[in-house]
Amino acid sequence: MIFHPLILALFTASLLTGFMVVYASVFGAQILRRWDLRSGSELQLGLERKTYLVSTLLGYAFAAELLSLALFVFTADRIHGFFVGAMCAAGTLKANAFGYPALLLKGTNAILAGLWLILNTADNKGSDYPLVKTKYRWLLAATPLILAEIVLQAAYFLKLDPDVITSCCSTLFSQGGTSLGSDLASLPVAPMRVLFFSSLALSAALGVVFVRTGRAGVFLGLSSAATLAVSVLAIISFISIYIYELPSHHCPFCLLQAGYHFVGYPIYFSLFGGAIAGLGVGVLQPYRKVPTLSEAVPKLQKKLAIAAVVCFLVLAAIVLVEMAVSQLVLPD
Amino acid sequence: MIALDKARKVFGQGKPNEFTALYETSLTIEADRLTVIRGPSGSGKTTLLSLIGCMTRPTSGRIHVLGREITSLPERFLTEIRRKTFGFIFQQFNLIPGLTALENVILPAYPTGERRSSLEKRAAGLFDLFDLASKARSRVEWLSGGEAQRVTIARALINDPAVVIADEPTAHLDSKLSREFMETMGRLKTQGRTVLIASHDPLVTDHPAVERVFHIRDGRIDGARP
Repeated sequence: MIFHPLILALFTASLLTGFMVVYASVFGAQILRRWDLRSGSELQLGLERKTYLVSTLLGYAFAAELLSLALFVFTADRIHGFFVGAMCAAGTLKANAFGYPALLLKGTNAILAGLWLILNTADNKGSDYPLVKTKYRWLLAATPLILAEIVLQAAYFLKLDPDVITSCCSTLFSQGGTSLGSDLASLPVAPMRVLFFSSLALSAALGVVFVRTGRAGVFLGLSSAATLAVSVLAIISFISIYIYELPSHHCPFCLLQAGYHFVGYPIYFSLFGGAIAGLGVGVLQPYRKVPTLSEAVPKLQKKLAIAAVVCFLVLAAIVLVEMAVSQLVLPD
Repeated sequence: MIALDKARKVFGQGKPNEFTALYETSLTIEADRLTVIRGPSGSGKTTLLSLIGCMTRPTSGRIHVLGREITSLPERFLTEIRRKTFGFIFQQFNLIPGLTALENVILPAYPTGERRSSLEKRAAGLFDLFDLASKARSRVEWLSGGEAQRVTIARALINDPAVVIADEPTAHLDSKLSREFMETMGRLKTQGRTVLIASHDPLVTDHPAVERVFHIRDGRIDGARP
């Protein structure tokens, strides 16, 4: 199992990311303790030179972290055939106790990685390293989570046992069960539909307001985070059943399969893309008044806000099209 | 004004071939004046010019150019300063063979995105100034030493820099051309540019247009005139 090419790719990416993150954290601790731009000491000049290199390498590591979320889910889906009972990634991830925690951490870390990349982009636009301490503080906060993710992912893949009979997604995400998945699947369709489209509309509207006025950046960030949470619930609650055209099938993973035209990928990409971009606008809001960023940050925020609006509108369009062409008829 | 505050440059630090090219150096070069760094070969002149011209970073210390601290700037900001603030004249002319004199002159201005017609117009003014108009369309390998030198000066001025830096500019020129070169530098100074020349050629260091000479030896400034 461990020698599956996709798993080896994930291991390699994780080890490289882990090494970079630990190395950068040690360097970041030095930055937090010793950074003094007024000093012309050899140490300070060395830190200035090195932070450029470390940030660049870390940028690649975090880009890999973003991609590895998609690869992890794709891998979990592709290897479901090895397990009796598994029909998609839902069953594979349930094959031992580490699958879902690993997925949850990978999702969290992907968002943190995206936000760090946004902070780093802003920092690189200032001539005096205006966010250098901020971005290394973020890194130090994210490092334990990334290391925990690497450990959980390794434990998950190393402890996969093909002899284990796992659960199928119909069981995990069925209404009336006692698991968390069942609770989510039991969320009422009509209110979730209203909540989903309302949150998308609110985030998109806040994005437009921000692009036009430069205001409501923090609200856009909060709204984007809420939209991410609501959308995940909505996918399990009602979007899935329209795609599968089965009122009892709530799996958030089967829609990643060829039988459903891989529609899950554009759904999740637009959702995470919009959420990270929208959150990025909020994260950057306090730095609009930094003298060397006063031009660059508003421009970057504007681009992010446009990206968030586009992503959320694409997500809404995909879901609306799926609902429109679906043969599913729900009782009022 | 250009100010060095305890600037030091070590090459190959921590390695067996570690070499200190410039020891802790503090000096001030006033704006709109012609200053010469004088010293023998290997004394640290080129290293000093490279530090001031943002071509390399000091190992420690800070450097201020026209009121801006440059040593802490990330590379992408240094590129802009190199392009807009400094004009460089090298010992080996460093003209690109295969290109015409005109193309060599406008080359440093290409990344600015300015229209080529506007660049050519500005270059034509420089060619007239240096009596090179008839050579503008000639490939640089066809030019004499004196003509090539004047092309390099025109190239250094294409972006209208505030500071002109010349490293051993008369090393390949005869006495007549060396004097002509210094006359040109004197004119640049009177136009309000800061001119900084590294040389050990007496024709340069003793020229009447020179207002200040720093003596450097073994990586240390050991005297100044006046």
